[in-house]
Amino acid sequence: MTNTFGYTGKILRVDLTTGKIWTDDTMKYKDFIGGEGMSMKIMWDEVPAGTHPFSPENKIIFGSGPLCGTGVPCSGRTNITSLLPSNPDHSVSSSHMGGYFSVEMKYAGWDLIVVEGKSAKPVWLRIEDDKVWLEDGRWVWGKGMFDAMAMISSQMGKEAQIAMIGPAGENQLNLSVIRTGASHSAGGHGGVMGSKNLKAIAIKGTGSVKVAARPEELMALDKYMMTIIGANNQHVVPRFPHPWAEYTASGSRWTAKKGLYWGAANPPVETGECYPEDMQSVGLRTHKGFQDLGAVAEKYTVSMGGCAHCPIRCHSQVRIPQLEERYGIDPNVSNTCVGYSGPNGIMFKGTPDLPGQEKGEQSMISKTLGSHLADDYGVWCNYGQMGRDLNWTYTHGILKKVLPADEYASISWDLLEKGDPAFLIDFYDRVANKKGELWHIADGSYWIDKRWNLGEEYWAYDKNKLWSKLGYPVHHANESQSQVGALVSCFSNRDAQNHSHSNFGAAGVPLELLKQVAAEEFGTPDAIDGPMDYTPMNQGKANFVKWALTRTMLHNSLTLCNWMWPMAFSPLKSRNYRGDTALEAKFYSLVTGIPMTKEDLDRAATRTFTLFRALTIRSMGTADMRNKHDQTTSWVITATKDKNGKEIPQFTKGTDRMTQEDMEKGRGLVYKAFGWDEKTGAPTKATLEALGMPEVAAELAAKGLLPA
Amino acid sequence: MDSKQNAADSGSKRSTSRRDFLKLAGAGFLGALATTTLGMGVMETADGRKVEVWALSSGAIVHDPNRCVGCRRCEAACTVRNDGKGSAFISRIKVSRNLQYGKLGVSAAYAKANGQMGNFLVVADTCRQCSHPACGMACPVGAITADPTTGARVVDVDRCVSCGACQDACPWGIATLDPETKVSTKCMLCDGDPNCTKNCPTGAIKFYPWEEAEALLFGTDATSGATAVSGASA
Ligand code: SF4
Ligand code: SF4
Ligand code: SF4
Repeated sequence: MTNTFGYTGKILRVDLTTGKIWTDDTMKYKDFIGGEGMSMKIMWDEVPAGTHPFSPENKIIFGSGPLCGTGVPCSGRTNITSLLPSNPDHSVSSSHMGGYFSVEMKYAGWDLIVVEGKSAKPVWLRIEDDKVWLEDGRWVWGKGMFDAMAMISSQMGKEAQIAMIGPAGENQLNLSVIRTGASHSAGGHGGVMGSKNLKAIAIKGTGSVKVAARPEELMALDKYMMTIIGANNQHVVPRFPHPWAEYTASGSRWTAKKGLYWGAANPPVETGECYPEDMQSVGLRTHKGFQDLGAVAEKYTVSMGGCAHCPIRCHSQVRIPQLEERYGIDPNVSNTCVGYSGPNGIMFKGTPDLPGQEKGEQSMISKTLGSHLADDYGVWCNYGQMGRDLNWTYTHGILKKVLPADEYASISWDLLEKGDPAFLIDFYDRVANKKGELWHIADGSYWIDKRWNLGEEYWAYDKNKLWSKLGYPVHHANESQSQVGALVSCFSNRDAQNHSHSNFGAAGVPLELLKQVAAEEFGTPDAIDGPMDYTPMNQGKANFVKWALTRTMLHNSLTLCNWMWPMAFSPLKSRNYRGDTALEAKFYSLVTGIPMTKEDLDRAATRTFTLFRALTIRSMGTADMRNKHDQTTSWVITATKDKNGKEIPQFTKGTDRMTQEDMEKGRGLVYKAFGWDEKTGAPTKATLEALGMPEVAAELAAKGLLPA
Repeated sequence: MDSKQNAADSGSKRSTSRRDFLKLAGAGFLGALATTTLGMGVMETADGRKVEVWALSSGAIVHDPNRCVGCRRCEAACTVRNDGKGSAFISRIKVSRNLQYGKLGVSAAYAKANGQMGNFLVVADTCRQCSHPACGMACPVGAITADPTTGARVVDVDRCVSCGACQDACPWGIATLDPETKVSTKCMLCDGDPNCTKNCPTGAIKFYPWEEAEALLFGTDATSGATAVSGASA
């Protein structure tokens, strides 16, 4: 192994079938940057098309990147790549979790962990620096994650960082998570660990990540970055007026203000004015209890939590005594965004407050109860889709038809109808433990349709929010930056998980400023539209799409949090609200000592994204991505109606709908921007070779999967 | 109890101020200071006992668990500045090890105990720059001394012989041998410009002048460190 900065230089390899544990060299993959990029390359090289996600031949890769562990702001996330069970073609996809796991990987000396094979009996993988071995997993198998993590920590030491599955993962539910810490879940790959009889990976690292630059240089860049950072989702304008603030934005997650507290801290901590120059209040800007659980949650909020080396803190940490009083579960709950709203979506009839409750109290209880249950069992909500699928199948009488009568009768639908959160306790037990027929709600939308025959109207109903017939929902799509969000959402194998474009559009500065920055980044102010005021597709939007797709791939490779990065804007009027989109490259160069410009990194991310495309082509067995992969469901390209039932034509004020023709034009422009075949959307031989991947071109050619 | 006796009682929380120390040094004690410039010395009292006298630190950093969000930016700031690398293990402020289950570690009552797997209270361990530092007094080669400017108890990396005596001696678990360099690490107050405090995004770490730091760290209403644990988990 060579001496490396940023990278530890080592990949841990584990074959659970044979028990063999060995080391690989990271730097042979360095063209793919790290994390997701390197994982894509390993999946390409080693996991053949047609492999089932739950077969021993599938591999699951835990990836960190070169910036992880060095204190670069928001560099604590873990990328997980494997075949995705909920996808119809079992294409490769990535899931991501925050927390402290990847930093511990790095400090133990590992850039990536690649697990393959299948253990004969339940095990967990124990890593203490370079000592790695398998432990008997019998005692933790079948346990909920909170207790099982405590058991492993008591054996290994309180500082161990653990990635684990719950019963849902053990039972190989398509919709199951891998979780770390109190509240950080990666949705989609829990069942892959379950299929390998691997309950957990637990790590203690006493080593370090070395920095190539002089400490003062990295510290200075860090300080500069801290003047550019905003609040959660890189919202740079506060929601409420402040003496320093020129603008406010109603959707901003910069929720701090005078008189808003972490009310359950002792003594309460005021979020306050948070001057943008004040580095000691960056962590107070985002009051996520208030944001996610409502004003009622203020007095239950103990503090915020989040990931390693991130100053933002987007997880609220709340203490809800009602959970213990009513349901006998622990009152301390932590989560964020869809981690709360997803499980609460199961309560689709609403959760009206009971007499004597404060406004929003029942909903807060439901969200925290649901989040605790989903986190303990390890059930994934498919970015909120599980609730909508339950709603559709219940409301349309499908469950009544497909569930055996006694099973249907045994479910407490009355609790659901009343809005009593106790329904969640029964629901998650049935689903995670694969009871009866109902658990198939966790197969994922594509497979549910196959099994229960939901029909075209299920896909076409806009409120179901299904984006693609591949079975994934809207995640910052057409409602977020017009065609940009819409097209970004067409390239993935699961919900798009892309915040590059949505954070850009939601920065909070006036449209005029957004357009100026768009012109600087994407060549024309027309890359940006006003909300619900869209114009037809143009080249600037295609550039924006490519930027969003490649930046997100870059962040998942470095590893930086794409819920915060890129830093396109800043809260500083003195900078005219400009951020710095070369920051990734500046950090990369200082940390690794490998000089890279913004363009160099963009090119590396283009390489990786093109490889991801090739992987999808290989698993689907067709080069016709345009027609077989990149299409949307029909509601997306159907005009909506106003209150009076009158159609609102696309590209007029008041609608965010697309047209098929315009989307096809958009697809072509994006393909072209990547250097892919404009007809099919498949990478060409020339492009693959120019990006340094002749072996990928050769394999696709041999399989007849290169465009003509 | 005068300051001379006090100096000999390493268990005492009272301490010799820098001014007192200089007075002592200038008073023509029997015996001589080993190194006056290092702010500490070995003296002989009138009755012939050898005592170590340490100049007080100018102050210490104090951590407020109530504001801490467990981001560990302080740890990375500490080791990037002082070691040119990111590490939790050798950070001179210790958050990671208490982050999930508190200082006391996993218990059957973990869900209500300190830490992110419990009541969310994160209690860091910080160096107290003790008036009679167990680390320095245990060091067999005198590699830990009071910095002449800041008074922080600092390790002379060239003299450190990697024996780990300081690590064993420190009651707060701060002094740590770096497994990679085999040299002891402990808080040196960053030469008077503490980097952890600057990088804390909630203002949970602050530098306090000695009298205030002493009250916060050792006083009956201490808010930080060991004293906070029992109070917080009660
Ligand atoms: S003051 Fe400096 S040496 Fe001490 S813990 Fe803070 S960063 Fe580390
Ligand atoms: S390292 Fe320990 S013994 Fe030494 S001064 Fe700091 S807290 Fe005191
Ligand atoms: S930087 Fe501040 S908030 Fe973050 S872990 Fe350290 S003391 Fe806690």
